Amino acid sequence: MPTLIELSGVKKVFGSGPEAVHAFGPVDMTIEDGEFISLLGPSGCGKSTLMLMIAGLLDTTEGAITLAGRRVAGPQTDIGIMFQDNTLVPWRTVRGNIDLQLEMRGIDPAERAADVEELLRSVHLEDFQARYPHELSGGMQQRAAFCQAMVHRPKTMLLDEPLGKLDAMTRENIRSDLQALWMQKRPTVVFVTHSIEEAIQLSSRVAVITPRPGRIERIIDIDLPFPRDFEVKSSAAFIGHVRETQEIFRNYGVI
Amino acid sequence: MRMWNTVVHSWMFIAFFIGFFLFWEYAVIWFDVPRYILTPPSVIVQKGAADLDRLLYYTYVTGLETVLGYVVAIVLALPIGLAIAFSSVLRRTIYPFLVCIEMVPKIAFAPLFISWLGFGLLPKVIIVFLVCFFPIVLNAILAFNSLSEELTRFARSTGAGAWRTFVKIRLPAALPQCFVGFKYAAINATVGAAIAEFIGSDEGLGFYIQIVTGNMRPDLAFAGIFFLTLIGLCLFGVVTLAERLLIPWHISVRRKSH
Repeated sequence: MPTLIELSGVKKVFGSGPEAVHAFGPVDMTIEDGEFISLLGPSGCGKSTLMLMIAGLLDTTEGAITLAGRRVAGPQTDIGIMFQDNTLVPWRTVRGNIDLQLEMRGIDPAERAADVEELLRSVHLEDFQARYPHELSGGMQQRAAFCQAMVHRPKTMLLDEPLGKLDAMTRENIRSDLQALWMQKRPTVVFVTHSIEEAIQLSSRVAVITPRPGRIERIIDIDLPFPRDFEVKSSAAFIGHVRETQEIFRNYGVI
Repeated sequence: MRMWNTVVHSWMFIAFFIGFFLFWEYAVIWFDVPRYILTPPSVIVQKGAADLDRLLYYTYVTGLETVLGYVVAIVLALPIGLAIAFSSVLRRTIYPFLVCIEMVPKIAFAPLFISWLGFGLLPKVIIVFLVCFFPIVLNAILAFNSLSEELTRFARSTGAGAWRTFVKIRLPAALPQCFVGFKYAAINATVGAAIAEFIGSDEGLGFYIQIVTGNMRPDLAFAGIFFLTLIGLCLFGVVTLAERLLIPWHISVRRKSH
């Protein structure tokens, strides 16, 4: 598969002088077209920082990032982003929030009505499109936020702990929907998470990140068949990957 | 169930309200309070009704001062608040200046404006304006500066220009905080008008209250206070109505409608 995103010597330092905080890097990594890669690490390891740098929403202190052959310098508009706190605005309905992404890009939502409806159906929100965000459960809000991040048909998606604030059962449920969507459309997904099991279940590769400063400790190929249902998750290979990852964090003193 | 609760709660409120006026009515009689100190509510209504023409005209005068000052405050404070919120130069110059002036009790300027501009409408409008301007402008600055980091990033990631981002995200996100300023100013607007009239005027409810109090007529003073309150209530009501129409989605409005 061709390389889509390339990081070379990417480093992030917040502040300057004696109070500077070395948050991340230096890191070299390539992300291939169509893969599902997880950035896995504990809170504060810089995985969200890395994601924001790929999106061009945060400058790198050193090094360079290229996306589809072009150097990232400033916000990238042809990607879909789910932020840690969802970006649903309270004054619009679910449908209105999805249309907001289109309107901000100067696209007439009426032209994409069929798209939006298909997207809503794929996350089981078709009956909730006229509801306001505060009328939805946390899981439904994240489903709506997912539609908002997808509606402009990006080929690359950056998801920053989209399931982080949900209960275990809802997470499980949305994970399988997410996997089904990825298998069907095959976008490139960079998925930020602190859940080992979640990273291994969803990803083709897992980048294990250790903190202070954030570094990619190891990249693990997850060579298991999709979809990764309960059968796969209880296989010896799956559990082996979980053990391997836990070992890294244990040696590092994170767990 | 919720409706029943509302009825019970407002029933208790109404009963308390009536009880308060009944207590006033009979306490004045029982304790034999002289009429030039305090009159019972029934006398206030009666004497106020007899002087209704004058009261209504003065309500119009004071109401006009209040509304003009309030509207001018909104019209000037919103663009100034916007400019300060989006300009780092203004934020370092005019903003700290406004915060300092905010510390000064605006009412203290009233005698000066009367002496500069005379007894007419203008000095009253200016004083109402001064009372209303600061809460509106300071809340507007806060409103336009407090967009969440995530929404700011979302807007940047769409590639939308400054104007589209303003119309679709910044403005609606800022409205609830703006209304905090509008409502606070609406409550205080009549204070400015009344005090300005106390200091120097020949018409209006402030003028009326001062004159009738001097004539030992507390009944008419209370009638004047009633109409002054009515102006404030109407202004507040209009602002609250506008809030309901403009931001029905906001938590402060949602709670009330339940």
